[in-house]
Amino acid sequence: MDADKEYAIIAKNISKTFQISEDSHNTVKHRLFNLFNPPRDKEVPALKRMDIEIPKGECLGLIGRNGSGKSTLTKLLAGVYKTDTGSIKINGTTMLMNLGVGMSHELTARENIYVSGSVLGLKIKEVDAIFDQIVDFAELREFIDTKIKFFSSGMVARLAFSIAVNAGADIMFLDEIFAVGDMKFQEKAVKVFESSWIKGKTVVLVSHTMDIIQKYCQRSAYLKKGELIFFGETKKALELYLHDNQ
Amino acid sequence: MLIKVVKDWITRSNKLERIWLLAKIEFKLRYYENKLGLLWALIKPISDIFIYYIAFQVILKQGVPHFVSFLFIGLILWNFFVESTSGTVQILSTKKYLYEYTNMNKIEIYLSTIFSNCIGFFFNLFFFVIYYQFIDRGTPGLSLEALYIIPIFLNLVILALAFSIILSNIYVLAKDITQIWLVVTGIAFWVSPILFRLENFQKALPGVIYANPIAGIIINARNVMLYQKPPEWNLFFFDYLYAILLLLLGVFLLNKIGSKASEKL
Repeated sequence: MDADKEYAIIAKNISKTFQISEDSHNTVKHRLFNLFNPPRDKEVPALKRMDIEIPKGECLGLIGRNGSGKSTLTKLLAGVYKTDTGSIKINGTTMLMNLGVGMSHELTARENIYVSGSVLGLKIKEVDAIFDQIVDFAELREFIDTKIKFFSSGMVARLAFSIAVNAGADIMFLDEIFAVGDMKFQEKAVKVFESSWIKGKTVVLVSHTMDIIQKYCQRSAYLKKGELIFFGETKKALELYLHDNQ
Repeated sequence: MLIKVVKDWITRSNKLERIWLLAKIEFKLRYYENKLGLLWALIKPISDIFIYYIAFQVILKQGVPHFVSFLFIGLILWNFFVESTSGTVQILSTKKYLYEYTNMNKIEIYLSTIFSNCIGFFFNLFFFVIYYQFIDRGTPGLSLEALYIIPIFLNLVILALAFSIILSNIYVLAKDITQIWLVVTGIAFWVSPILFRLENFQKALPGVIYANPIAGIIINARNVMLYQKPPEWNLFFFDYLYAILLLLLGVFLLNKIGSKASEKL
């Protein structure tokens, strides 16, 4: 039991198949009229059976071509998708981050900061304490009480990034996050990433930029067509990936 | 043991705080966004009372004593149920931003929405008490029995929560449940003893007070608020059982269908 606690995530024998319905059987009417003509489901195996264990505090790289199952795997490990087989044990709060992070466009920046902070496991007082930090980092002081539906996509992304940087869940899944904002913001993002995330938090880094994976991750997983081809030393994973892409 | 676990959970986690925060924001979005604000919550039952008073008391001469109070308490309970169910059929879709990127438990989303509706209900209940106690002449006034409204309302909350979970999970598979539910509540309104004298209702539709779980709740709420009587215990326990069984079904569906909401919606 105690040994389990050393791990952020223990996934055993997990797999995922999507059922894509060819007909639109998504109403009661449709289902009733087609009682004897059940929908033809197409099965798309997204992830084949695999085991993954991530110790607390590790920064793990995830590489593979488009459609190799990286996003599906991150969603399974983050507890957003349900696994078809096996089991996943997650110790702590998770946050999945790509360009859009869980924010409501109907809420103001201030409300989104409180909601996201709270969803990530912080108490209101803790959000109060880092509130100014979040606003200043996102450079959105003047628009704090504006609904984010009036924001530009860059502003939304900066806010999301700033919340993630300052609030952060125990386990962060970062999907191509270094593409956020302009050059200046990116520099700032990398700095913060290095100073606070790499230390202390468990991070799963998804990127097509080999330099980034090599720089931050000691271990990496290489996925190909939904299969875990290699899980171990980053150097080896990158070699296999580059070899396959030649 | 159990108390310790619950206490531990409350002090160590931020779950309660989070549910309350989401409820407050939901409430603000619903009422503060327009100029009349919270008054909207009151305008709805008042306009309904006006219409039904004219129809049933002035034209049809039903002759229920203190008909406005009679309608007021029935309508605010009914409106709470409809808002908490019809208003949440699409909740897994509208609140997707909360669970799409994190491992937040979906039940918290339902609880926060229902709490936000509770704020609106208590606001209305407050005005009902003012009206019944001070404005409606000749009423005997509230008695200690009125305190039974707390467990009766809790019964309604559990029932509404159960329907909310069940409907929103069916929505994942069948989008037209929204329209179907509108029809169902439309019918249920007329087979609930909201507008009619209870004796007439029971004579015309025997057994409906057991088939329709809202009926018992409204009957008991009137007993304790208007007639200084304790609840009818048979109905009271039956409706609790009804609500709990439906809630169990809801939780089952949430685990079965709701857990796939982020990929299906």
